[in-house]
Amino acid sequence: MDECQSAIPAHDGDLHVVAAAHHIVKALGTTKNLSDDLRKILIDLDAHLSLITSNIDSKGGKGFVEVEERLKRVERKIVIWESDRIMIWDSGPKEVSDYLEAVDEVQTLIDSLRGLSMNENQKQKELLHRASSLLQMAMSRLEEELIHMLVKHKQQSEPTYMPSPSSQRNVVYSESVVSLDNESAKEASSKSSRSDECGEYIVDLVPEHVIPDIKSIAKVMFASDYGQEFCEAFIGVRKEALEQHFDILENGKLSIEDVLKMEWCSLSTEMNKWTWSMKIIFRVYLMSEKRLCDQVLGEFGSVNSFCFLEIAKTTILCLLNFGEAIAMGPQEPEKLLRLLDMYETLADLVLDIDALFSEDGGSFVRLEFHKLLEGLADSVKAAFNTFRVAVSSNGSLYPFPGGGVHPLSKYVMNYISMFPDYSSTLNLLLEDQHSDVASLVSEPQCGPTASLSTSCPMACHLRSITSSLESNLHKKSKLYKDEALQHIFLMNNLHYMVQKVKGSELRPFFGDEWIRKHNAKFQQHEMNYERVTWSSVVLLLKDDNPGSSSLSKSAFKEKCKGFSIAFEEVYKNQTSWCIPDPQLREDLRISTSLKVVHAYRTFLGRNPAHVDDKCIKHTVEDVEKLLLDLFEGSPRSLRNSRRMMKT
Amino acid sequence: MPATDYQASFLGRISIRRNQVIAMDGNHEQELQDLELFSKHVSERFAELLSSPDDVPFDALLSISWLRKLLDFFLCCEAEFKGILMMGNDPSQISKPPLDRLIPEFLDRSVKALDVCNAVTNGLESVRHYQKLAEIVVSALEQKPIGDGQSRRAKKTLTSLISAMNVDDKECSAAKATERSWSFSRRGVSSKDRVPEHFRSVSNHVAKNWSAAKQIQAMTNNLVPPRGAEGSGLASPVYTMSVIMVFVMWALVAAIPCQERNGLSAIHFPAPKQLNWAQSIIGLHEKIGEEWKKKEKKGTAGLLDEMQKMEKLGNILMDFTDSFQFHGDITDQKAEEAAAHAAELAEPCRRMEEGLLPLQMQIREVFHRIVKTRTELLNALDQVGKSSPPLL
Repeated sequence: MDECQSAIPAHDGDLHVVAAAHHIVKALGTTKNLSDDLRKILIDLDAHLSLITSNIDSKGGKGFVEVEERLKRVERKIVIWESDRIMIWDSGPKEVSDYLEAVDEVQTLIDSLRGLSMNENQKQKELLHRASSLLQMAMSRLEEELIHMLVKHKQQSEPTYMPSPSSQRNVVYSESVVSLDNESAKEASSKSSRSDECGEYIVDLVPEHVIPDIKSIAKVMFASDYGQEFCEAFIGVRKEALEQHFDILENGKLSIEDVLKMEWCSLSTEMNKWTWSMKIIFRVYLMSEKRLCDQVLGEFGSVNSFCFLEIAKTTILCLLNFGEAIAMGPQEPEKLLRLLDMYETLADLVLDIDALFSEDGGSFVRLEFHKLLEGLADSVKAAFNTFRVAVSSNGSLYPFPGGGVHPLSKYVMNYISMFPDYSSTLNLLLEDQHSDVASLVSEPQCGPTASLSTSCPMACHLRSITSSLESNLHKKSKLYKDEALQHIFLMNNLHYMVQKVKGSELRPFFGDEWIRKHNAKFQQHEMNYERVTWSSVVLLLKDDNPGSSSLSKSAFKEKCKGFSIAFEEVYKNQTSWCIPDPQLREDLRISTSLKVVHAYRTFLGRNPAHVDDKCIKHTVEDVEKLLLDLFEGSPRSLRNSRRMMKT
Repeated sequence: MPATDYQASFLGRISIRRNQVIAMDGNHEQELQDLELFSKHVSERFAELLSSPDDVPFDALLSISWLRKLLDFFLCCEAEFKGILMMGNDPSQISKPPLDRLIPEFLDRSVKALDVCNAVTNGLESVRHYQKLAEIVVSALEQKPIGDGQSRRAKKTLTSLISAMNVDDKECSAAKATERSWSFSRRGVSSKDRVPEHFRSVSNHVAKNWSAAKQIQAMTNNLVPPRGAEGSGLASPVYTMSVIMVFVMWALVAAIPCQERNGLSAIHFPAPKQLNWAQSIIGLHEKIGEEWKKKEKKGTAGLLDEMQKMEKLGNILMDFTDSFQFHGDITDQKAEEAAAHAAELAEPCRRMEEGLLPLQMQIREVFHRIVKTRTELLNALDQVGKSSPPLL
């Protein structure tokens, strides 16, 4: 008791001072524009002074009467909720503010009791214990209210304002270049629109009207030194919520071993999902989570970033691990586009990631994603190279039937026609391999036609790929025994390449010069075809003796027969050949017609005397008509058609 | 950090040895020397780990700092191993028997180790959670005087801590599977016994049936010491490195919470005692295995020294809070004891605060190193022109 009182003035004069001070404090407390901190100080001071007063008043043992009274009052307010099954925050604003006030009061009483010098006063000690117990009860309750609130208001809806994965570039290249030979490659009807998502998609993970409630709990818990409990409870619920969102995105929980063993088709789906999830998780959920943490915990120092990191870490590690597994896997050519998607997504997010995890504790996350970005860049390069190698080394044992457009040409041209979508990324990543390739590309772009688009790294790489394709096609053409078919094959494929370049976004990267050159190339093959096939046939009709006016009957007959046999042979062969492009087919028929029909007509016209049914197997009109059967890809024989014509 | 010094001196040794290579004739002789040096370093390093005194808390077996040392040594051994395998030697050797079989097996093991690294990284998140709970206990009990409020606060958190740490691996994943929801009906529970909801489950980062123990068991597949002539060639460092890798992963899994560890102690290391370098590893394996067996039955979060201390002190303090509530008050002596235990509990908390993040980052480093070596080995195999595709 003595010790207690030693800190407390005993004289009446002092009592007056205390009373005056108390009065001033009370008056100040009614001021309206007080900061929270200041108000708290005043309240504390108020409690302290009244405690002193009560001590002085009672001169000893019963000095804590008023404190005890106050404690009893708040005790009732707090304990009453313990038996209640309804949550305080569900009951109404009055109940909430009463409860919070009561907790505040307990804290004030504790502070005041602690503020008194340490002593052996049993009463003081007992009151302090009671108040602490009460505080613990209240804090426990608040924690429960918090969890209930967070769980109840957990927004489960999926954000709909971001493009769904199905609207993304979704062409799955399930075939690989290597297994392509003589299989029909599906024409990839690609060019699905590229989702162009930018901007932020912050959502309310917890409805906005709940935030002040959460904050009010945070405030009292932190003020009572229960901040750690608050954080753990907050982290617990939010972490689980984030994991649920992540589960909704249907990311398979895959080990690295699983990923490395996965079939390409499922892997492609998983890669797509990853790309999609990365955007959603970072742009929507983590951005929003960060905002929530800042809103709720912003005023309590660095705990907000600590909590955010704890909430986010496991989900992030999951995304990171899949990325790592992909980056270390074998980089087959068919992975290129998916890898580009992954790379671009991460490259796009990496600044956001840096911003989200700018604090020291987050350096781990930042570092790992930067590493992953590098890894993905290397993977893109590796896949690009294996693609190039696959294009030039794709081998065939047998000639492609009909001399049509080879699946490899289709695959390669369709595949690279997607590259322009990724041009800035590819230009960036292929930069360092640029010089080697640029020198390999045969057509130097010079003069007025050379532009930025034709000289960028990607353009050079594209042209180097098509030139690999060309040389591979040349190799494949040698598999045909028939020289004419070699030309048809090359004509078809070169024509296809040119058409693909002209009709797509590839055009600016190849340039007009390339197109001109390649037009000339396939036209050359067209001419070569005509020469190889028809020159000898037409030669049969040639006048051996230009001096005389007409041939003898037998010589005429001989020539007619020779022509028929040769023509029928060509017909039998070349009706099975194939020119898929109708325009090209038409052009070739016209020019063939011009050459052959013209020569035939002239020949017959020069020998009108011998023209009769017996020696002429085919009329000019027949020949003209029969030529239309060529290159349709369905073998025919003239024996049948002859019979048909006779009947 | 001692390990950095170690690495520095290791690099220094390499450069010295390079000079020797130039001076010396005969590749084979050099190779033999390299191999000898390698196994000498391995045995030195693990002997150091084995001799860690139990009584010095900082370096105790399976403490955070001990694990960090273990990982440092792993990285050193790995660097040396790669040097032997890929530098100076005829690169075509790796595609010839017996390496043509041993290397793909090694790569297969590496991939499994990567998944273990990830599981452990994930497990460290749980450890971090324990740390935070223990910190609450400390701050509750370091207040003076300790009253009913403090005791209740500590008890509530201790209940969470102890139940979180005692959840065995299976329950861990089961808890997750049943989607442990924050119970709404908690108001029905009598208010005095309300169970605090600090409990946080280990999140599965892989499929539910993934098992750390099985993973490590699978790593020991085909792991047999080289025999006869093979013993003097490159087969032996591949074997040594494999054993080191399996051991390191095994120790990490034993120490840190991990998905499904049933049968961990049954994993047998095929390391014969007559191999000098293997003795310390076998010693460590036995020592840790014994510990694991003791704990296995009870179900444990792991053998991490700091966690075990936490568990022990947690139980003592739990008894204290129980008796407090029973008697309503305690003697000063009891209170002092409790305060002392709380102060003791602050120690592992502090070490976790300092060491967990670096440990996690080091595990990532190990991860990246394994990936890098794997890539380099695959590239080397590719270059040698091996036509058959790699296993993984």
